[in-house]
Amino acid sequence: MGKKRTLRYIIAFAVLVLGICVFFVLNVCIGSVKISIKDVLAALSGRTLDETINTIIWNIRLPRTVAVFILGGALALSGYLLQTFFHNPIAGPFVLGISSGAKMCVALAMVFLLSRSLKASSITLIMAAFVGAMLCMGFVLLMTRRIDSMARLIVCGVMIGYICSAITELVVTFASDADIVNLHNWSRGSFSGMTWDNVKVMAVVIAVSFILVFLLSKPLDAYNLGESFAKGMGVNVKVLRVFIVLLSSLLSACIVAFAGPISFVGIAAPHLIKKLFNSSKPLLLIPASFLGGSLFCLFCDLLARNLFAPTELNISTVTAVFGAPIVIIILLNRKERGQS
Amino acid sequence: MTDIIKTEKLTIGYNGKPLIKDINIAIKKGEIITIIGPNGAGKSTLLKNLARQLDPIEGSVYLEDFKVSEMSGSELSKKVAILFTDRIKGEMMNCYDVVATGRYPYTGYFGLLSAKDKEIVENTMKLVKVEELREKDFKKISDGQRQRIMLARALCQEPEIVLLDEPTSFLDIRHKLEFLSILEKMKEDKKLTVIMSVHELDIAQKISDRILCLKGDTVDKFGTPEEVFTEEYIRNLFDVAEDINKYAEKKNIKLF
Repeated sequence: MGKKRTLRYIIAFAVLVLGICVFFVLNVCIGSVKISIKDVLAALSGRTLDETINTIIWNIRLPRTVAVFILGGALALSGYLLQTFFHNPIAGPFVLGISSGAKMCVALAMVFLLSRSLKASSITLIMAAFVGAMLCMGFVLLMTRRIDSMARLIVCGVMIGYICSAITELVVTFASDADIVNLHNWSRGSFSGMTWDNVKVMAVVIAVSFILVFLLSKPLDAYNLGESFAKGMGVNVKVLRVFIVLLSSLLSACIVAFAGPISFVGIAAPHLIKKLFNSSKPLLLIPASFLGGSLFCLFCDLLARNLFAPTELNISTVTAVFGAPIVIIILLNRKERGQS
Repeated sequence: MTDIIKTEKLTIGYNGKPLIKDINIAIKKGEIITIIGPNGAGKSTLLKNLARQLDPIEGSVYLEDFKVSEMSGSELSKKVAILFTDRIKGEMMNCYDVVATGRYPYTGYFGLLSAKDKEIVENTMKLVKVEELREKDFKKISDGQRQRIMLARALCQEPEIVLLDEPTSFLDIRHKLEFLSILEKMKEDKKLTVIMSVHELDIAQKISDRILCLKGDTVDKFGTPEEVFTEEYIRNLFDVAEDINKYAEKKNIKLF
């Protein structure tokens, strides 16, 4: 029994890692300019004479692919934390309006800085997004005091999202022409235009958050059973909840600051991973969800870039196509269980 | 013998509104205590205060002379296990996983089970006779089975005191008896102290060393079965009106 389980976990992790490797390579090779693996390897080892290929790989595709890997994982992780927090499989940064809140604050910060012809640094954007995420999270938490139905909470979250998006649209509409194109793309979610500087900052922030979340896996395991059980086992539930809120907001903020709001990955990836592992142990699910989110986003970004090339789709368009049906399936399954 | 748990001037309730005032009780190691009283008398609330799931409005709970409110979470969880009416929310857990969560206070930083932990889980499952449920999905077993798994989980915690809120309500007669026999065995073998609320007065009468009766906003009586179980007292405790009492006599329904 124990061995069978361990084997399943090893295979599942192997599949995830392998999938990520394959899609990582595909993402680097495939694009409006197709580059063979041989040329990619040559460029990576610095032996290419072709400057164009070198630039495409080093300055465009590689930072973008690394960013997709990091942010995709972060998305799944923040979704996983929120699902744990609310004991609800369809909670996520997007449906609870947290992404939109972060988006609003980032848009405000960008427009404000641009109007003074200052360029917003990565850190400033993350800070702005974090403020927005915390604002919305705070609002959602206030509502949980009055609303005990999870479905209604989600509806409220979606409404908060709409309000924040409306404000963002308003800001974007009145921003000066030059800024709009940029803001408009970003506000719909996209991994384009990543630089190595961006990647460095997000790698640090998300690595730290990931380690902190991983260190919380034991109390999260207890919290999964329900609050009274967690208390009975000696977990300081209040402190744990604060940590979950801060970390999930920080992760969402980091994603929004760099790639805008991206829908459904936070719900779909952890759900699929739970099914793959057939377990709810945070010790497994935290790293696995991260990898799952990365894989999901690498796959979706590949489609977004190439499906209608040279036109690039919004990443949310693609993630919604694959993610939304999963949410529907979760809801249908829940109902079934309720009836039986 | 010293008291394992006692309360001093304990006032409990919700949102600052007292439900039961001035509770002063002392319970010895290895006693089985049942809490009885009408619906809404505060049986669960009292248990939650003893388990530190709720904070008292006034006064304190002491565990072997230590103030419960000042103990660390892990210290407390090694001494007190609970089996309340909350349902486990965990997903994708088989019964073994659920029982094993009882080892939580003893496992290392990442919560992995040691060989010793596994042995204790095995032994407890044997004791409670749930070995055959090991692989079953916890969400797909019957209420009776679930309750026994939850008991195994609580006992896995190797507590000195176990607090149970209406543990036998959903059990059929055979499982009720099995459940109670395990508690008595633990009392005999390990000097386990048991504090539980029950609705079935016959059970309270037969299993308890002492019975705590809650009524109105006070502890009405705290005494042995002989002291508590008189027709008149029970009728009073539950406010059984004269006409209802006549009906019970006519149908030959005993109160306990």
